[in-house]
Amino acid sequence: MSDPLLALDDVYKSYGEEQVLSGVSFEMDAGDVDVVIGPSGSGKSTMLRCVNRLTEIDSGDIYLDGDCVTDADTDVNELRKQVGMVFQDFNLFAHLTALGNVTLGLRKVRGMDKATARERGYEHLEQVGLSDQADSYPAELSGGQKQRVGIARALAMDPKLLLFDEPTSALDPELVGEVVEVMRDLAAEGITMLVVSHEMGFARSAASDIIFLDEGRIVEHGPPEQLFENPQAARTGEFLSRLETTHEGE
Amino acid sequence: MGTPESTTTERTIRTRAAELTDQPLTLLTVAVFWTWLVVRWTNDFLLDGALIERGTSFFPTAPFEAAASALGSLAASLGPVGFPVGWVAGFFEFLAASIPYLPELAIGVWATILLTVLGIALGFVIAVPLSVARVYGGTITRSLALGYTELFRGTPLLAQLFVLYFATPLTTVIRELPTVGTGFIPAQAFWVAVIAFTLNSAAYQSEYIRSALNSVPEGQLTAARAIGLSKVDGIRHVVLPQGLRYAIPGWSNELVYLIKYSSLASFITVRELFERTDAIASETYRYTELFVLAGLFYLALVISASLLMEYVEEQVAIPGLGTTGR
Ligand SMILES: Nc1ncnc2c1ncn2[C@@H]1O[C@H](COP(=O)(O)OP(=O)(O)O)[C@@H](O)[C@H]1O
Ligand SMILES: [Mg+2]
Repeated sequence: MSDPLLALDDVYKSYGEEQVLSGVSFEMDAGDVDVVIGPSGSGKSTMLRCVNRLTEIDSGDIYLDGDCVTDADTDVNELRKQVGMVFQDFNLFAHLTALGNVTLGLRKVRGMDKATARERGYEHLEQVGLSDQADSYPAELSGGQKQRVGIARALAMDPKLLLFDEPTSALDPELVGEVVEVMRDLAAEGITMLVVSHEMGFARSAASDIIFLDEGRIVEHGPPEQLFENPQAARTGEFLSRLETTHEGE
Repeated sequence: MGTPESTTTERTIRTRAAELTDQPLTLLTVAVFWTWLVVRWTNDFLLDGALIERGTSFFPTAPFEAAASALGSLAASLGPVGFPVGWVAGFFEFLAASIPYLPELAIGVWATILLTVLGIALGFVIAVPLSVARVYGGTITRSLALGYTELFRGTPLLAQLFVLYFATPLTTVIRELPTVGTGFIPAQAFWVAVIAFTLNSAAYQSEYIRSALNSVPEGQLTAARAIGLSKVDGIRHVVLPQGLRYAIPGWSNELVYLIKYSSLASFITVRELFERTDAIASETYRYTELFVLAGLFYLALVISASLLMEYVEEQVAIPGLGTTGR
């Protein structure tokens, strides 16, 4: 059996007194789409940020494609080329057009010339259905369009793994669909995705596994059918029923 | 986004600037002023007085004197109700009296502009790394940058000029450099003033840029780092292009201040506008005319700077960024 694409092994992280991640371990294979759910403050964002080292862990190991990326001598910029990230509040570069957002990394990180980068940039905008908005600035785009540009920006770097941190929770309900649709397409193309989201439709239809994180621990980890229909832990069931009654993710 | 106060200042400046371009008379005056200056400089510096002898005004005084005396007698003949005519006569007298000094003052304006432009531009070159150090530096770089800023903002500019001019070997060193003080390359005092204005303006500019950098949302740098840009590259390609746009209104303020503060260079013998005015006035005792004239020149320079900055701001505006969002 080959190495998992991503593996977290007993990861701990604290901020001061507060223990945010307490021994998180899981693996995912290439092509998997794992959806992370859990209450607000349970450490979901922190866990994602540890994977591309926007946050440094206290102990444990994280492996990407067999390489330990939490070693002190790992080149973080090299790591981040291989791990794309999509943010809750988009974080599009406000001074660049949609195309500029997608090509910045190609030019300044990958060192592509302008023409090649533009060509590639257009392809990725096409992929999220936004090639007609290439020259629009973020302020001129709707929330859903912004997030699709955010996805195109991450895709452009040709990453081994895409991280999504609540990609639809800042969106008006009517704009969620277009983003989820793009994510489904990516899942169908076999792109490996680790997604923090309470978009249950997406989780049910696209997830290989659901990870339920609570108080910095993985309470339950399994295929969607198991978690949704037959949760093993009492807390999973409680959380899911609360999600259903409030009809919203946190 | 900036603090409420800074937003207010930005608005005030922007409103004033917007009004400027709406006034054809202002634009016309500025255009005439600059045309005259450029022709004057070209004649005196480049053409060796080919159009008109150096120091001789383009405008004859006689018609203005004639108009003044004609209006003066008219005012006298009108008796007590003639005073408005008397004022107009006074204005023509002022023009007639000012004209002989215009060429000399134009040379002073040249030095003032050169001082200001060099000070602000070189100051900017220092201010950018200084402000980046303030916002993103470690403890040591941060406190060094803070120390620099506090030192130059906390002591009088005049004192800084005096220290550099009298208490350091700078003057002697610059004097020995080739071409200094020959042709239209100004003498050593001018260069000492440029250094002082550069160091001082860098401190003020870095304050404006620092608060502008702080108003760039943190997520911008996070996103830059997440695609694999180093921190320095992220600051360079993402934070600075945004922050510098936010800084334009404050930066315009600094330009206006520096135009006026450049007059302090007269204290170390730099022959700029204020020094020229003062020198001619103490020779001719025409203090009122000369200082009114100098005041009008400073005003024209300040308005020109505001117009220029308004233009720049429009040119670099990006939808949704800063106060210029359209
Ligand atoms: N940079 C930080 N500094 C201090 N505390 C933090 C920081 N980031 C997150 N935390 C804390 O860690 C806990 C988990 O946060 P987070 O990972 O954002 O949770 P989630 O994404 O599941 O809502 C929260 O209690 C939060 O206050
Ligand atoms: Mg979160």
